[in-house]
Amino acid sequence: MNPEILIALPLLAAFLLPAARRIDASVGIWWGPLVVLANLVIAAMAWWKVQLIGPQSIALGGFAAPLGIELRADHLGLSAAVLLNLAVLLLWPRETPDKARVSTILLVLTGAGCGLAMSADLFNLYVFFELVAVATYGLAAANGKGEALIASLRYLILGALGSALALLGIALVYAKTGTLNLTELGGMSEALSGPAGIGALVLMVVGFGVKAELFPLNNWVPEVYAHTESRVSALMAGIISKLGILVLLRLIAEVFGGSPGLEFLLWVGVLGVVTGELAAYGAKDMRRVLAYSSIGQMGLVAVALALGGETGFIAALILMLNHLLVKPALFLIADAWPGSLKALAGKGRARPLGAVLFVLLALSLIGVPPLPGFWGKYLLLDAIFTNVTEGAGLLVGLILAATVVEAAYFFRIAARLFGSGEAAEESKIPGLPAVAALFVIAFLALSVQTGRVGDYLKEVVHGLQPQELRMAQSDFPDPAASVNGKGERL
Amino acid sequence: MRQFASLLFLFGFAFFLSVLVGGLPFGAAPMQVGQAIVEQNIEATGAANAVTGVLLAFRGMDTLGELTILFVAATAAGMVVERRKHGVSRDSVAGFILLAGAELMFPFLLILGAYVILHGHLTPGGGFQGGAILAAAFFVPFLANPGRAFQGHAMAFVEAFAGATFILLGIFSIFREGDFMAPMFLGTGEFGQLVSAGSLPLLYLALGLKVGAELGSLVAEIAAAPGSDDPLIEEPQAAKDL
Repeated sequence: MNPEILIALPLLAAFLLPAARRIDASVGIWWGPLVVLANLVIAAMAWWKVQLIGPQSIALGGFAAPLGIELRADHLGLSAAVLLNLAVLLLWPRETPDKARVSTILLVLTGAGCGLAMSADLFNLYVFFELVAVATYGLAAANGKGEALIASLRYLILGALGSALALLGIALVYAKTGTLNLTELGGMSEALSGPAGIGALVLMVVGFGVKAELFPLNNWVPEVYAHTESRVSALMAGIISKLGILVLLRLIAEVFGGSPGLEFLLWVGVLGVVTGELAAYGAKDMRRVLAYSSIGQMGLVAVALALGGETGFIAALILMLNHLLVKPALFLIADAWPGSLKALAGKGRARPLGAVLFVLLALSLIGVPPLPGFWGKYLLLDAIFTNVTEGAGLLVGLILAATVVEAAYFFRIAARLFGSGEAAEESKIPGLPAVAALFVIAFLALSVQTGRVGDYLKEVVHGLQPQELRMAQSDFPDPAASVNGKGERL
Repeated sequence: MRQFASLLFLFGFAFFLSVLVGGLPFGAAPMQVGQAIVEQNIEATGAANAVTGVLLAFRGMDTLGELTILFVAATAAGMVVERRKHGVSRDSVAGFILLAGAELMFPFLLILGAYVILHGHLTPGGGFQGGAILAAAFFVPFLANPGRAFQGHAMAFVEAFAGATFILLGIFSIFREGDFMAPMFLGTGEFGQLVSAGSLPLLYLALGLKVGAELGSLVAEIAAAPGSDDPLIEEPQAAKDL
């Protein structure tokens, strides 16, 4: 089965839904999850195929890159596609007044996310990124509450600004090199080492960073996560923020490796870690604590990306995977508790399972061994010591200090949960939500199998620069030779 | 103070951009891809309008994405707009000249829209432009008389059918050519004729109808009064007092 179906099927279903629900209103409820389930199966099959025969490069429509668009069916792309489909399916929003429209938006989000994960063409990446962005603006307002609408509007404005900057960066790259294909750009890193190339990277980091909750344009995060349904917050913090990083990961691994512009990404990441954790410490309610903590974690990922190299990329991937499993579970578990931190007192005693798991997951975010978060931070520090020549001490100091702050606020929450307080009535506190349990199980599996997952991530990182997919780097390949009369691949 | 800071930021940003653009090769941009497309377009796609060749053939996936951005934006806007409160007064019916003018323009706009869409692979124009003209044909009469009924139901079906056609043509080509969105399975045809350039005219027709119906239904949604049984919408106090 062609991996393009991963993009086409959800979009087709989304186009048909508005008409189908006019025939039968119940379509709005079952149509979306069913299609995403089918897409998940296809994604898993495509992923398995990559395991068997290795990464594939696809020329969309039979028009070979540089003229056409290249898709990569590789380890990174298809792993992300599987995780995205799974996360969307598990975290399907419930508290939505307009189920059919939200289904439509989620279907588009799924298709676009799969495209974003696989595309190897800068402009195509931008189109899918914008598509994911517009879908999330709608999703953020999906519960119909006034505050959510205002938060979504702020998100829309920042997102639009970010998209414009990213597009500017892409335009700079194109003006400088004359191509948008990542494989080809990989061979032209010299042309991008000047101010135009560095500026383009900076613009793209800021632009794609909006979705990845990176430092300058991330103040939409706490408001949106505080006012949407917890499942939507979980989806956005869990997987959608990772899609923004995925774009940067491909860009850095294939095109901008060693660019001086990465220094910018490094400090964006450090500022994200420091400001995120400090703001989380000061936050007064649970949703905002989790939102700011998410900013801090994504900052760590950005630092790891900026350091690059095998260790840096694997650290970034482990941190992302850890955050992807932990943060949605935290949002869902915390959903059963009152929002304000003050009201948490004693809530952990009534139903201890949720509270104990909450603390366990938080420990992984802090980076307590032997949980996966520890390995992420350990590899990150390792990458700092190997790659950074001067200022490594400052960098490590800032990150460790932020970790201490992180530990402080999570321990404060734990102390409140198990501390003395008015005895909560049993019936008011539900146990562990089933979906949260699934995320916890996946998290435990990751904790037990960290070694094996690490080996796979190594393969993922190696797959990012597939030598067999690379074209001759010495000169610009003759585009005239790429298409014959019928538009078929040669 | 705040405005001053914004101004300062804007100047800084402008300086940053001018430095970047100053480093670009002026007047001699590397145009290998553009040149190659100009040279190969006719042979590869048979479209007299090279822009269409790029939009629908070489970079068809981007166009599908752009089409979907419009779609999902309209969906999200519809979701938000539907929550309008009761008692919002409508604009009154326009005068005779506007009403008559709108009615008169309707068939001409339809014909122009259809022409622009169908000749998209031959002359400048195409699905997005033609679709916008088609949508205008429907909402110019609506603007003249905001109270009139709107065919939202039919619009939704046209839109869904057109959108599905665009993707299904892509999927169909998997079976014919082995590639998704390979538009040449009908052959390139005779250059410059209405029936030429493979499935590009069909794709543009689907795209044009979808864009037209989409913009049209958005207007219909804005026009439709929110249902009184909608639990989300609280009636304003004034309305209850009456």
